[in-house]
Amino acid sequence: MSAIIVDNISKKFRIPHEKKTTVFQNIIGLIKRQFDYEEFWALKDVSFEVNKGEALGIIGKNGSGKSTLLKILAQVLYPNSGSVTMNGKVASFLELGVGFQPELTARENVYIYSSILGLRRKQVDRIYDEILDFAELKKFENMKLKNFSSGMYLRLAFSTAINAIPDTLLIDEVLAVGDETFQKKCRDKINQFQTEGKTIVFVSHDLDTVKKLCQRSILLNEGRIVIIGDTEKVINDYLAMLQGGNT
Amino acid sequence: MTIVDLKNRYQNTALGFFWSLLSPFLLAMVLYFVFSHLFGSEENFAINLLVGIMTWRFFATSTSVSLYAIVGKPSLVTRVYIPRQILVLSSVLANLVSSLLEFIVLLPIIFVLLGYLPATVLLFPLVHFVYFWFLFGAGLLLSSLFVYFRDLNQIWEVLINVLFFCSPIIYPLTAVPDYLMPYYLLNPVTLFIGMYRDVMIAGDLPSLYSIGVIIGFAIAAYLVGSLVFSKLQRRFAEEI
Repeated sequence: MSAIIVDNISKKFRIPHEKKTTVFQNIIGLIKRQFDYEEFWALKDVSFEVNKGEALGIIGKNGSGKSTLLKILAQVLYPNSGSVTMNGKVASFLELGVGFQPELTARENVYIYSSILGLRRKQVDRIYDEILDFAELKKFENMKLKNFSSGMYLRLAFSTAINAIPDTLLIDEVLAVGDETFQKKCRDKINQFQTEGKTIVFVSHDLDTVKKLCQRSILLNEGRIVIIGDTEKVINDYLAMLQGGNT
Repeated sequence: MTIVDLKNRYQNTALGFFWSLLSPFLLAMVLYFVFSHLFGSEENFAINLLVGIMTWRFFATSTSVSLYAIVGKPSLVTRVYIPRQILVLSSVLANLVSSLLEFIVLLPIIFVLLGYLPATVLLFPLVHFVYFWFLFGAGLLLSSLFVYFRDLNQIWEVLINVLFFCSPIIYPLTAVPDYLMPYYLLNPVTLFIGMYRDVMIAGDLPSLYSIGVIIGFAIAAYLVGSLVFSKLQRRFAEEI
């Protein structure tokens, strides 16, 4: 069964010459009948499928549309054409700690963040201890978040997100969290996800991690899929492309 | 999820609640001293004034807060997927709670000044719910438009003030000239003020027609609001 079906999506951004953000400017613009923006296709005719339990890597140069693609998968952006079908619950790691309130305690923030990720209160009650143990922050559960160090902050966010039991994980280079041991723990957790048959979409510049984690990969360039297939082969092609670009 | 959001909001504002109560009452006092000489003959001027101010305040605060519901939370819009209507709903809900508290404080005042509480006060939750729904629709509309038109907040601020004088808050409805009346009654806030005064002070059972009209306003606001919102929200993450 496919966990993600991406069917022929295209995404167009508008690059305004002069940004019109007020009613007044828009009225003037209407009278003049000018459309002061250029169109820019961030993604063009992208289609692929991800099977359940598969880890898919997305690589490419800066500005090749990786993050746009991930945001469309996370339903934050909408494609201009084509469709995306996702089966099961999705957790996106576009940014960690969305909705964290510095004035509230760690415990309250775990609840708020989980509810943003779509968990019910009772479900959070059940996994609460696990979250704090994983983040190694049990001692600090009643401390206000503003007094946390940035490492503690990220650890709390990461372990809340990862314990929210999603079916599909969308990860955008956030694995660089915390110290070496914590990073290892994260990698173990992600591997465990894979063995449990969960789906992962992973965007990164770190080719080694992609190689370790993903069986299949997509290489994007200027919004189009260059190649899709075995990670090994895709990475070689990517390196070749980079070298070709340099010479 | 909304509950969590509300709770979070209220932890910050619970202490400030008395301050927020103070401001409408101060406004009412000033207006009372100024205008009781003009319309002093009117019956129950003080509580009519208070009810009017509370009604208008719910409108003013909830629309101007929900204006920022989307723009004020960029990370929740661009980083995660949640139904974005929830952001608007939670800000209107928070205002619902504070306006409920204001009205509840009003009840003993009415009792003291009037000598009794009309039985129709039991209809208050119904009216308030309809009003809330109306404001939710307005909030959806405003918050989504604000993403594209960033000067809407200034325009809206002026409109709210205009609305204050276009509603029968400091003067009675009878002061409005007859030939303006049909247009005057197009202002939903006027209708709601009238409804609140009927059930909370006069003790008149509102006619089915007038209830139908305010429910109609609420449904229309909600439909227009959610239609515009769902059309515009597709590009929120790019525009914000």
